[in-house]
Amino acid sequence: MKQHLWRTTLYVVQVSENLCLLLTGMKSCISCVSVQDPGDLTQPGHHYKDYVPLWTRSGKILLNSDKYMDIIESFKPDMYYLLSDGDTNVASAQKRVTKAVDNTINFVNKCLERHKNSTILQNAFVMAPITGGYCLRSRKRCLDELKDKELIDGFLIDGLHNNGPEVEFLTFAEIKDVIDLVVKDVPDNKLLSVQGCWNPVTLIKMVQKGIDVFDTSYCYIVTERSSALTFSMDKDSKMQAYEINLRQLRYADDFQPILPGCECLTCTKHSRGYIYHLVAVQELLGSLLLTIHNIHHFMKFFEKIRHCIAEGTLSELENLVTKQFDEYQDEIMQGKEKKVLNDENL
Amino acid sequence: MSDGTNPLVFKIISECKTTRARVAKMTLPHGEVDTPVFMPVGTQGTLKGLLPEQLENLGVQIMLSNTYHLGTHPGPEILEKAGGLHKFMGWKGCLLTDSGGFQMVSLLKLAEITEDGVKFQSLSDQKSEVMLTPEHSIEIQNAIGADIIMQLDDVVKTTSPNKERIEQSVHRTTRWLDRCLKAHGKPDIQNIFPIVQGTLFQDLRKISAEDLVQRNVRGYAIGGLSGGESKLDFSKVVNYTAPLLPKEKPRYLMGVGFAIDIIVCCAMGIDMFDCVFPTRTARFGCALIKTGQLNLKQKQYKKDYNPIDKDCSCSTCKTYTRAYLHGIVTMHTVACHLLTVHNIAFQQHLMKSIRESIKEQRFPEFVKNFVNELYPQRDYPEWVTSALKSVNIDLTD
Ligand SMILES: [Zn+2]
Ligand SMILES: [Zn+2]
Repeated sequence: MKQHLWRTTLYVVQVSENLCLLLTGMKSCISCVSVQDPGDLTQPGHHYKDYVPLWTRSGKILLNSDKYMDIIESFKPDMYYLLSDGDTNVASAQKRVTKAVDNTINFVNKCLERHKNSTILQNAFVMAPITGGYCLRSRKRCLDELKDKELIDGFLIDGLHNNGPEVEFLTFAEIKDVIDLVVKDVPDNKLLSVQGCWNPVTLIKMVQKGIDVFDTSYCYIVTERSSALTFSMDKDSKMQAYEINLRQLRYADDFQPILPGCECLTCTKHSRGYIYHLVAVQELLGSLLLTIHNIHHFMKFFEKIRHCIAEGTLSELENLVTKQFDEYQDEIMQGKEKKVLNDENL
Repeated sequence: MSDGTNPLVFKIISECKTTRARVAKMTLPHGEVDTPVFMPVGTQGTLKGLLPEQLENLGVQIMLSNTYHLGTHPGPEILEKAGGLHKFMGWKGCLLTDSGGFQMVSLLKLAEITEDGVKFQSLSDQKSEVMLTPEHSIEIQNAIGADIIMQLDDVVKTTSPNKERIEQSVHRTTRWLDRCLKAHGKPDIQNIFPIVQGTLFQDLRKISAEDLVQRNVRGYAIGGLSGGESKLDFSKVVNYTAPLLPKEKPRYLMGVGFAIDIIVCCAMGIDMFDCVFPTRTARFGCALIKTGQLNLKQKQYKKDYNPIDKDCSCSTCKTYTRAYLHGIVTMHTVACHLLTVHNIAFQQHLMKSIRESIKEQRFPEFVKNFVNELYPQRDYPEWVTSALKSVNIDLTD
């Protein structure tokens, strides 16, 4: 295992549209631009030669390397991902996987050419995508082509999924071989990143393998279902549920904070009952308060991960979080079974 | 804070020597309010996604909430349990609630008004009828716990020609006030304001005001306006009614929020205003400026790198350009948020300018400058000219 890579485990704030106002001091924050939004499902199956489709609220935009780099130059980020064809998942056919790698290599070469000649991006940190779905041979081909290129500071393991909420339920067992292959082959001094709404259990496992950078799309999908993350990261603290759903009637007259002891703005000023009300009447402030708490909790989680790496106690954290996550999943499944039984009885 | 026995202390600080405008400090159980004041409307215990501290930072001292909505959700039991709306929503400033009657009449088509109260069809259950009585309205408002609460009144459309019905509404409103006062459970921490009715009939307004003035209350509202009547009729009623109310108590004009209307009505002696307009127009992509509003959806702002208003000190104007707001206005909820912040800052700034000009004895000049900026061709609407003339400001000078 590459321990030295763990220490850099970063936390990338995805600039949520609701949060622009609140994240004061955004200017002093490191900015990172990615191609797709890992929180929303990227529609699969739309392929164009030399173009990547981007689905925006005002319709589809086709990006090629030049258009993409124009955008990157206008954003002037501290860090960015090169354009990639990441439209593969566990079910992709070999033909699509091969094409994704061809396209990605082509995009990376063109983007790097632009980067080399760009004065604006001189100091920007460059992350190159490694695609190839779940085909180890294709992954290897992509890696061999890109891993020793100049100007690349790190790699994104792309093409594992099509983003969106389903990523939460991908298991580590499914992605393990791909992660192992990339981690083994990439030079030690490069940063490694994986995007998507992975659950905390899978996140810890990826950190253990040497992945450094993730995003907060998980907070977004948890907020979307009106939930708050409440899992405990400290075995001595009072165990809470893994997650609580503020749509549940039991919170209507519950005037405690989401997570007693949490120091976020939501928990210091507002109650579960108030958030229940806001969610019930579909007021914007509800998801705003949930976002604030969830991002705060997720930040704390990564702080804890870095601390545990330093102390050599990451597997203890893993066990603690896994236990809570599994219990919560069981509870949900049982709830569903009960509902099915009830429906059958009707 | 107020002195415990008196939940509303109204202290006049300056009076305009030309018009009836005045500046006062109104001390309520949850803090001080500088009047003339504009109260933004946070219908359901939140104001368009703004955090309570954002409102505090904007200088908002008092906010209006709607009894009908809060009575439905989260309901009086939850609010009572939470210790009132202030605690429930984490708002430290003052609150005012309406009676819920107007909301029902406008939201529910089948409302029928009887001597008992306002009867309407339940939204949740088609078959059942629900009655909002004066007692019930006060009970909910007691649970909400606002600093100022409104009596249930019998509202008749201002455009109605049926004088007999209007006269009935005037007398019924007084009877309902007495029922409200009797039902009031927290008179030492909440103030009931009566509402003067009578639509456009001066004689009826007079009867209404004279009846209500005899009751022991700490402030008065003028209701039943802003309902489609002409601006000339509107301003005549305000001009006539305001002096019928005691000078040493606050006067609240319900449902008025356009800058020019506020300025004219301040000149007539009104102290408090509320309106959904500044927050509602933000939702439609409009930003308030001195000369009206900018519709940021329009293409002309695509490459306009100015702030909404270069003189505005709100966080939106300091950070974002019209071009940026134009780019996000149709797609993102954050645009509504940013415009709401500006529009509230605009109203706050307007009220502050009014108060300062009154204190410095230059309110008439302030009014003239404002009107001339709004109508640079000097083509003043008739109602503005005559309304201001009635309070000794002559625009033709
Ligand atoms: Zn919290
Ligand atoms: Zn502004």
